[in-house]
Amino acid sequence: MLACAGLLVLPPAIAQVLAAPGAKPDPAAPRAIPRFVDETDAAGVHSRFDGDWEYTVGGGVAALDCDGSGAPSLFIAGGANRSKFYRNKSARGGALKFVQERAGLELTSTLGAYPIDLDSDGVLDLVVLRVGETLLMRGLGECRFERANERWRFEGGNQWTTAFAAAWLGRDVHPTLAFGTYVDRARQDFPWGNCTDNALLRPASGAALAFDAPLPLRPGHCALSMMFSDWNRSGLPALRIANDREYYKGGQEQLWHVPPGSDPGAAPRLYGADEGWKPLQIWGMGIASADLDGSGYPAYFLTSMADNKLQTLVGGATKPIYRDVAFVKGATAHRPFAGGDVHPSTAWHAQFADVNNDGWQDLFVVKGNVGNMPDFAMLDPSNLLLGGPDGRYVEAAGESGLLNYQRGRGGLMVDLNGDGLLDALIVNRWERARLWRNVGAGSAAATRPLGHWLQIRLRQDGANRDAVGAWLEVEAGGRVQRREQLVGGGHASGTVGFLHVGLGESTKARMRVLWPGAKPGDAALTSPWFEAAADGFYLVDRQKGLVPWQP
Amino acid sequence: MAALRTLLRVLLGALAMAGPAHAQVTVNEASRYSAAVATEWLRVVLPAIQQTPGQSPPVAARTLAYLGLGLYESILAGLPGQRSFAGQLVELESLPAAQPDEVLHWPTVANATLAALTQMLLPNAPPDWKARFEALERNMPVAQPADFDPAQRTPEVIIRSETHGKLLAMALMTWARTDGGHDAIGPRRTRLDAAYVSPSGLGAWVPTPPRFARPLLPNWGANRPFMPNAQQRCAPPGPPKYDETPGSPFHREADEVRRVGVQPTEEQRRIALYWADDPLKTPTPAGHWAWILTDLLRDRKANLATAAEQYARMTVAMSDAFVATWKVKYQLNLLRPVTYIQLAFDSNWVPPLMETPPFPEYPSGHSVQSGSAAAVLEAFYGRDTAFEDRAHNDRGWGPQRFRSFAAAAEQAAVSRLYAGIHFRSAIEHGTTMGRCIGAQALALVTRASP
Repeated sequence: MLACAGLLVLPPAIAQVLAAPGAKPDPAAPRAIPRFVDETDAAGVHSRFDGDWEYTVGGGVAALDCDGSGAPSLFIAGGANRSKFYRNKSARGGALKFVQERAGLELTSTLGAYPIDLDSDGVLDLVVLRVGETLLMRGLGECRFERANERWRFEGGNQWTTAFAAAWLGRDVHPTLAFGTYVDRARQDFPWGNCTDNALLRPASGAALAFDAPLPLRPGHCALSMMFSDWNRSGLPALRIANDREYYKGGQEQLWHVPPGSDPGAAPRLYGADEGWKPLQIWGMGIASADLDGSGYPAYFLTSMADNKLQTLVGGATKPIYRDVAFVKGATAHRPFAGGDVHPSTAWHAQFADVNNDGWQDLFVVKGNVGNMPDFAMLDPSNLLLGGPDGRYVEAAGESGLLNYQRGRGGLMVDLNGDGLLDALIVNRWERARLWRNVGAGSAAATRPLGHWLQIRLRQDGANRDAVGAWLEVEAGGRVQRREQLVGGGHASGTVGFLHVGLGESTKARMRVLWPGAKPGDAALTSPWFEAAADGFYLVDRQKGLVPWQP
Repeated sequence: MAALRTLLRVLLGALAMAGPAHAQVTVNEASRYSAAVATEWLRVVLPAIQQTPGQSPPVAARTLAYLGLGLYESILAGLPGQRSFAGQLVELESLPAAQPDEVLHWPTVANATLAALTQMLLPNAPPDWKARFEALERNMPVAQPADFDPAQRTPEVIIRSETHGKLLAMALMTWARTDGGHDAIGPRRTRLDAAYVSPSGLGAWVPTPPRFARPLLPNWGANRPFMPNAQQRCAPPGPPKYDETPGSPFHREADEVRRVGVQPTEEQRRIALYWADDPLKTPTPAGHWAWILTDLLRDRKANLATAAEQYARMTVAMSDAFVATWKVKYQLNLLRPVTYIQLAFDSNWVPPLMETPPFPEYPSGHSVQSGSAAAVLEAFYGRDTAFEDRAHNDRGWGPQRFRSFAAAAEQAAVSRLYAGIHFRSAIEHGTTMGRCIGAQALALVTRASP
């Protein structure tokens, strides 16, 4: 894209000096470093994300339990290749094992996917983002899927659809879907300033799931990630969109008010300067969110080209004013930390997760050159930034074995073998996706835990079976951790299933759920506290309470 | 003492590079360096503009504006107490910031930014010029040893500085590509311009002799300006009402052009040719004023911080002057003197010294642009500051000495009347309009609030 100087190659000694910031754990805040073992080949995953211009973005993966086993199976986008579905056959605590199966998900032109139980039948469906028509794939059970666009009166369009988020808003019994699109496919000759509108699909009234015609979210600014997140804990999430400055004209990051579908007269509208929203222009590619400081409010990590942001709320519940604390928290991740290439990084998928079960959320950032951009790092390893009690992040991807020098795009941190340790997957452009097993403090032969953990799945009867929009609170070790049940974010990648919470040295915890729509302190929508022993799987069922679950 | 300072710099640099992200931030000001990296780039870019197809005066002004802004924004972290133009310019809300803990060498940053922007803004420069751009970037440290001290430029600092400079250039170009002018000579723009049909009617512009060329850049006025309010606040009052009646104000202005054109004095002839600043023959009018500023900075041994702010403000003013001028030109679509004079006075009359440019008359682009540049330079150097203009020395026309920037701008403006291509109203209103646009550029805030 640029006609600038070529790749600079550094002597190894200099590269080591350059790689120094964050390369070693801060002695003031030691982190337990998990070990990741590359099991791509042994696991049987052979998926590539290929393609040219229209596949410079995307490259996502979805993890979903589609057979009731509790083990997430994988849908991996293929770009110009067909997408693939891999059934999870991993033994609990054992090596990762997947079997490619025909699931009805062998699709062309796929960019990414998000699982969600759209029709609240207790079986996860899959929303597949594509260059072309977006597909709603209905889960039939036993990991079979069928196209359901017509069944659910869904207009999938014919655009370059690159982002997705969903939420049950207000008292809606069906979800509201938001889709982000990229450049006008008819304007490849001059993509600049030719972003297309995003779309909001509200549920039609009636008992059966159906969607009204798409409502344009205008202006669209080439969205590459979006999520419904309750930024101010009002009980009603807003739609945050990460937009790519490379192609928009006058664009910026966006936050939308989205009224419930049951209030069709109320139009979505952007948060504006009068509400405290401050324009920010980045090459926005991915969003991760988490309550990092126990405030109860989510912070947001936004990926970009060397310009990543970690935003914390400073405007209180009334104004979405954020301060970038990436630098002070050691989370800029703006250059490769290893490999000798010190050009700026290109970051895509981002996810907060506790990979070492120490009770502090870590940050997984998938990186990779867009293609062959000479002014950006070609050797651009993904980051594993370990969090800790001092609030800072320490790079550990190298020491943990999670080094990926390919052109990473989407990814996930998810427990694939039910051992409470989050495993890693990265989808690479022009190369195979890679899979790593987290073996904790042990080895491939003998996993050893780093800390205690809980995995909790939220369930409720009726609509919104997975309680999207709920907040899980887990109290252990004298503090409360929170997880927001989301569908969206990252980069074209998502999962719905057990929420993972590291507990550190605590062998037990108590938990409660603020069900969708609840504000903090809303007793009517908050479950009682439940006591639970560590290192187990649980369902928190809105009707039945805490139910231990065995994989 | 100097050795101690150097050692301290190296140690601080090493600390910031090797330590954790919250390491002590090193104070490293761009004002410590000379303006040479900037002035040397201008010395190359200006003749390159002259020889690059498509760099007509409005396009060249745009090119210079992105270079000026890029220079300023690239070294912003080395300008303590100063703030970005982002947030003040149209559709530019933020730019990537330098990491506070990374020591950067500002001449290296600026060199990388200007090199990257030059390549991107002049994509169709002749191959030998592209090679010169690369050579200039590569050789700058050797050519400017005082600013490129090897003790400061460790390999790590060089690479960090270069990559930050290029990142900033890339961010600016993502913005530049959507201003409407990026594809000025590309097929898209050519198609758009080819579809333009001039309005017709009494007093309307028509193609002019001898080439009867199609109107130049008829959509340039729709381009996104840099500043949000300059066009609105600086709109000119408009020309006298079109009238072919002898003795009417319009007729009198045309007669003035005719009479000068019949028998220009030697001085009028010299002035007309001196300020012609034709594309492909000179660096264009905006390049002429950029040359003047470059000489001022060199003569006064200005530092890099000073140069960055002055280039940014003046080039932004000049580019917006052209966009605003083009907007009014194509809205009013006023005929040129040659058309009127042939109609009302003498069917054989032609401008005595040069061809009439192929676009509507009001206001005079030279006048608006020169007025804007002079207003900016006055603010930095003083209203009554005399200076020497050496822009055309290599053509044997200089140096020219002016008692003030305003005097130079007025001469540039009236040169168009002497050349027989503009009426007086276009010149006088244009100069006022330009000074107003210059004031808008000066009103952009670069000092952070206390």
